[in-house]
Amino acid sequence: MSESAQNLKIQPTRDEQARQRFVSGMRYYILHNVAAGMRTVYENKVEPRFKHDHGRDPEDGPEVHKAIKDETMFKFYSSMRCNAQEMVWRSVIPMVERNAEDLAARAKAIGADREVAQGTLELDPDFEVPKAVSALDIHLMPGSYHSEYMPDDVSIGAVYDNGGLVFSMGLLGEAREDIGASISCFVSHRYPDFKPARILDLGCGLGNNTLPWARTYPDAEVHAIDVGAPLLRYGHARAQVRGTSVHFHQRAVEDPGFDDESFDLIFSSMLLHEVPPKNVGRTFSEAFRLLKPGGLMLHMELPPNNMTAAYDSFYLDWDSYYNKEPFYKPFRDMDLRQVCADAGFAPDNYVNFVIPSLHLAGRQAILDAVSQETADVNRNTGRMAKTIQWFCFGAWK
Amino acid sequence: MASDGKGDGIHLRDTVRGEPQRFFDAQGVDELVSISMALAQELWTVKERMVVLESAAAAKGVLLNEELEQHQLTAEEQERLGAERAKFIDRIFFVLREQAEGLKSRDPDEPTPPQL
Repeated sequence: MSESAQNLKIQPTRDEQARQRFVSGMRYYILHNVAAGMRTVYENKVEPRFKHDHGRDPEDGPEVHKAIKDETMFKFYSSMRCNAQEMVWRSVIPMVERNAEDLAARAKAIGADREVAQGTLELDPDFEVPKAVSALDIHLMPGSYHSEYMPDDVSIGAVYDNGGLVFSMGLLGEAREDIGASISCFVSHRYPDFKPARILDLGCGLGNNTLPWARTYPDAEVHAIDVGAPLLRYGHARAQVRGTSVHFHQRAVEDPGFDDESFDLIFSSMLLHEVPPKNVGRTFSEAFRLLKPGGLMLHMELPPNNMTAAYDSFYLDWDSYYNKEPFYKPFRDMDLRQVCADAGFAPDNYVNFVIPSLHLAGRQAILDAVSQETADVNRNTGRMAKTIQWFCFGAWK
Repeated sequence: MASDGKGDGIHLRDTVRGEPQRFFDAQGVDELVSISMALAQELWTVKERMVVLESAAAAKGVLLNEELEQHQLTAEEQERLGAERAKFIDRIFFVLREQAEGLKSRDPDEPTPPQL
């Protein structure tokens, strides 16, 4: 096999590359310059007007949202963000289309080659993709996570992977494994005696944040589930290329299967805001069932609204209204400690952390965070910038 | 709406299902923002190519300006440019095509965002 046949890389034309670079640059401009302008309008115009009219500060995100939504700066920020989001996917779709058949063949061949890694792929031909994924184009990505255009298709996986690189503006490195890498590094140092033998990643997507757990705990058996077949095919091949053994399964997080008390660590990243709010409790109950006593459930997400200031709540909830992520705000409105308790976890066993980025801040920053007692949520938490930090929460069983 | 100018082969849907978000009160402003951003992107693409072209030409010691003025494209090249132009226009006026396709592909069971 040629070098390109041994991986999932596809080559953009020079113009496609220029379009992709433009979208990254445009997103950076919107998320920094235009967002800073919107905050300035808020602090200098909207907030003083609100105080004058109500005799107090806005209390929460919706109050800020209502007060700012008629401002021209909000309208431009929002309109440009929606457009840039769609342009992310459109900037990679042509090169995926051009390579779709070849990529499907490559992914199949790589997946079957078990020389470097011993991962597996289990797809369910009778699996019904939940409406929460199939009925809308999540984060404005045409085709959501599940659409298939031919047998053995991995196109959506390739759109998500290559688009993700454009979306992240190069901040998280080419592999974009930073969430899993940062959090697994943190956990292994914070709890040096915790040695999970079996790990499950819920809603794994392409497995970017699954693989670092397998590297942090090389003796562990690592499983990962998601609903989208093209993502799983692509993710399986991607893991094999990277020499990391992970077992991928097409299953829903609300109904994951597996035996009771069969995992030591259950993880998810950027999953819960895409689960219908009524199913979050069931997802946690299933995690409780699957965990061995002494096991850890840990979810990375944006911080909840009860930990963020009113303006930041508005800013982080924006995606729920305008980015086809309707469950974002309902999730961020939840009392996380209570949801864990309702699923069976003792309230005293609740944990939450704010963890620096391994890729951007380095290993020492994570080791420094290990010794801190409380989660210090600030404006950098979850916000795509060079100062990004990851919020995560969960509970010990 | 007119076709997207793409030829044969696998076509991934590039339009988002459902109705687009609207932020401006005046009709058409949201679309104009979209068109402006696509134009800016295309302009940047040309600028990138120009930089490469000038650099490559300079490296070969070519007198670029004179040659460009006098050079004639072949029939085949002109045909290729015409096809490129169709795709170029589709990219810039994409938002209009999306409105039609988004409505067609809308799922009646799409979950709705929270009420403000």
